Amino acid sequence: MAMEGFFGEAVDRIGGEPISSRMARKAPIRHLDPSLLMVTLMLATYGVVMVHSTTANSQSAVDPAIYFSRQIAFLIAGVVALLFVSFFDYRYIGSLALVIYGVTIVALTLVLTPLGTLRSGATRWISLGFFEAQPSELAKVSIIICLAAFLAQRKGEIRGRDVAVCVGLVVFPSLLIYKQPDLGTMMVFVALLGAALLCGGAKIRHFVFLGVAGLVTIIVIFQAGLLQEYQIQRLTSFLDPSPDVQSIGYNLTQSKIAIGSGGMQGKGLGGKNTQTSLDFVPEQHTDFIFTAVGEQLGFLGSATLLGMFAFLMWRGLRIAAMSRDLFGTLLAGGIVALWAFQIFVNVGMTMGIMPITGIPLPFISYGGSSLITNFVAVGLLLNIHMRRYL
Amino acid sequence: MSSYGQQHKNTGGIDRLKLRLAVLGILVVASFVALFSRLWFLQVLASEQYDRFAKENRVRFVYSEPSRGRILDRNGHILVRNRGSNSVTVDKQIVDTPHEERMVFRRLSHLLDISMHDLHKRFNDVTVSPYKPVAVANDVSERDSIYIAVHSEDFPGVGTKVLPVRYYPHKDLAAHILGYVGEISADELKADHFKEVRPFYGPGDLIGKEGIEYYYDRFLRGSPQIDKVIVNSNGDPVASSRQQEETPGRDLVTSIDLDIQKATERALLAGLQAARVSYTAPAGAVVVMDPSTGGIVAMASYPDYDPSILADGLTTKEYNSLGQKTPDDPDDDVLLNRATQLTKAPGSTFKVVTAGAAMATGVAESYSQFDCPGSEVFPPEGGPGSVLFRNWTSASQGYMGFPESLETSCDTFYYTLGWRMEEAFGAANGDGSEKFQKYARQAGFGHDTGLDVRYEADGVVPDQKWLTELCKALGPGCDDPTWQPGYSVNMSIGQGDMIVTPLQMATTYAAIANGGNVMRPRIGWELQTPSAEGVGEANKTYRPTVTTKLPLEDSEIAVIRDGLRDVISGDQGTAVSAFAGFPLDRFPIAGKTGTAQIAETIKNDAWFVSYGPIESPQYVISVLVQDAGHGGTSAGPIARQIWEAIFDVDKNTDVHLGQDFSG
Repeated sequence: MAMEGFFGEAVDRIGGEPISSRMARKAPIRHLDPSLLMVTLMLATYGVVMVHSTTANSQSAVDPAIYFSRQIAFLIAGVVALLFVSFFDYRYIGSLALVIYGVTIVALTLVLTPLGTLRSGATRWISLGFFEAQPSELAKVSIIICLAAFLAQRKGEIRGRDVAVCVGLVVFPSLLIYKQPDLGTMMVFVALLGAALLCGGAKIRHFVFLGVAGLVTIIVIFQAGLLQEYQIQRLTSFLDPSPDVQSIGYNLTQSKIAIGSGGMQGKGLGGKNTQTSLDFVPEQHTDFIFTAVGEQLGFLGSATLLGMFAFLMWRGLRIAAMSRDLFGTLLAGGIVALWAFQIFVNVGMTMGIMPITGIPLPFISYGGSSLITNFVAVGLLLNIHMRRYL
Repeated sequence: MSSYGQQHKNTGGIDRLKLRLAVLGILVVASFVALFSRLWFLQVLASEQYDRFAKENRVRFVYSEPSRGRILDRNGHILVRNRGSNSVTVDKQIVDTPHEERMVFRRLSHLLDISMHDLHKRFNDVTVSPYKPVAVANDVSERDSIYIAVHSEDFPGVGTKVLPVRYYPHKDLAAHILGYVGEISADELKADHFKEVRPFYGPGDLIGKEGIEYYYDRFLRGSPQIDKVIVNSNGDPVASSRQQEETPGRDLVTSIDLDIQKATERALLAGLQAARVSYTAPAGAVVVMDPSTGGIVAMASYPDYDPSILADGLTTKEYNSLGQKTPDDPDDDVLLNRATQLTKAPGSTFKVVTAGAAMATGVAESYSQFDCPGSEVFPPEGGPGSVLFRNWTSASQGYMGFPESLETSCDTFYYTLGWRMEEAFGAANGDGSEKFQKYARQAGFGHDTGLDVRYEADGVVPDQKWLTELCKALGPGCDDPTWQPGYSVNMSIGQGDMIVTPLQMATTYAAIANGGNVMRPRIGWELQTPSAEGVGEANKTYRPTVTTKLPLEDSEIAVIRDGLRDVISGDQGTAVSAFAGFPLDRFPIAGKTGTAQIAETIKNDAWFVSYGPIESPQYVISVLVQDAGHGGTSAGPIARQIWEAIFDVDKNTDVHLGQDFSG
């Protein structure tokens, strides 16, 4: 199919409808999902408020206000990225899948070169001067696009060879991320692969085979000592939180105490002498930000946040179902899976029901790459929704 | 790439796709249900518990060690004060694993020459506060504390601190009266004596464990400076607020006289050593009391101990030195205050009570005379079950009045009184009102005197009720639970089951001396706010308290006092030889010997209770020496030496054994 403009095909007389009215009916902007846009902006604002609340009294930062102002800048950049992504037809973006994949691999490789920035024992960032980009965040959306583009061509008829190609598409960047290391993103990739195969039409036997293969891989990884001691500790500590102050289990215990002590009402934003303001909980403006939500805004605030996420999921699944083509469905399904998995693992981690992995909470955690990536994902959803009749 | 825009081809494909999306949707819903459930549990169901954890996390209360009040004698001499002790402390929040504990203690043990066992025991004492560094060693040398400071990396969590500890300038002087301090135990935290007091006592508090340190603890302890500290996750304080300023403890002024106390202890020790020539004389006790107020002027118990070794907790070695290693043998129990806790048969010293009871109940008048044969049978008419009671001498002494009966300590005289009271009021022969026993209780026996210390023995005034309970406790070991008339006869000369403490004996003689008032004995009389602070707290003064007034006429008390005078000054007195050469013309003294046979042995406990000067008594002295022959032989000379010290008579007099053969 030929490339199409923003306002649809120039000439189409089928149905005897006047071109102008048909153009108006099919104009993508008329089919915007305003509630999706709205909840996105509400979530991002919620995030900005929480980032401010968790960093305003920070003792460690030179200028505590910098987190707040930067998160606002990221939010604006995210909105721009959203508009940019929704401007082009998503099918055009799909046609660029190979290019996107290539760029992603290059970016992930650059992280491992001296250009990458080492921080807290991991190299996940590339300095762009004004901004430290985290390619693994953007890679999440890239993987969704590539898997969707490939599987859409299979038209729901998946064979073993196709599954192998999908696995290959995911394994290659996973290896690069393993080198960083970033276990959380690797797990996200696995989740995305599963979601794509599910929506793309993989057979039950494919899942069984992949499940067994995955299990074997995990056993091999543990047996061969490919994981660092601290990584195993983080993954297993939630099963038996240790009271040792220096351990990761201690952080987890403190996180649970913080959330539990928030109660129904919470202790108020930026409250003094709370678990979070006294640094009992680590990484509370990034990975553990939900802990601050729970302590400061209580059950009411956290349930509202989870409610907004649930609404976002519903809009995403609705768009997946409404998409005019399989590519859009796969894209939307992948994005829903991306968010749902990250929300579940992140929030579950702060409440002690999931292992501790470095996965940010979408829209809420501080960080430009993550926020912009999520805005790009929203842009893609809006894109699919707007063009469902084209 | 054209396929990206391909629309769904057929309805079947869309249905299959919808099914697959539904599976994805169900997974999403399931994960959200899980998150909501967990959130509900944490923030609604278990919220209170987590809220408590959160507070415990960040709020610490830091207590200073308040300076404890001093204890002074009646002339202002210091009996107990505080001094700074260079202590080594270990922080429980830093040394919090068994491995670290072992490592740190091995080094400390080596450096300070304290056994690992003692260090562990102090450190893991359940009564210490987990937030206060635990003092594991006191009086550490300057060199060792500098070593610890310089090598701090080898001693994580170890610090040195100057802590106030009790200081006893006169060492073991008055140890039993003063008591000692130690950390409050779990049981003590629950006891009424501490539980009701504000501010509340808490784990790790130093309290008085015995004596007046215990009794007046709430005034002596003062209150610490309390800071509420908010800490961050590193334990660094981020904010603190003063909850309470330190209030030093109040000084306690006692009726103890330092000089008389010294003389009393010296006399007791010398008397015991003299008695050991002929007897074992393992232990003894003396009470010196002011009969007009009940104030304790001196109190001694031997063997004794140096309370300073208890001031900062015990090492195993120190504990063993206290004679606790043989719990079955009370003779080496140095912690026992024999003046208040040791109960023994009073022997003839009890005759003043029998005499008083006989006159109070109307069995005898102050002028009555009774026979004093060498022995007597009760019941007098004889018959089955009759028992022969002997006097201490077989010679018959004829009829006599009360004064002479006390002077010669005639047993048969008192047997008659005991028998008559038994016939009139006894549980066996009489109406059962047991007026003899009732009088004995009024005179201060069978119950504690109310002295301001922790422990005091009640003693026993045997009667039907006591016998019934004893039988119940003995079970099959009890032959006969009914009161026998002979019990009252035995009791009349202070033998049998009648047992008393030296303090009770002093109290009853004080009543004779002061005209019939049984006083509540007391050591502490005044609480003073330390002069440096000077303001606010009002001083507290205690007034003398009369427990009971003896139901005796002045003339009745007078005949008893005459008898007691003659024990020392008369021709036949049992303590005449003990006071030979004592200037009785200038310092007239009255008293009574007592020789209590130790059950089932031929040994005797020796008593001597006296007061003086006779016309205006200032002191009562009650002396008990265990297994030391007759009262006039070994107890009398101890009292004499104390009297000599009080009246400043020739201080070089050694204690010589007196001569006394009475019962």
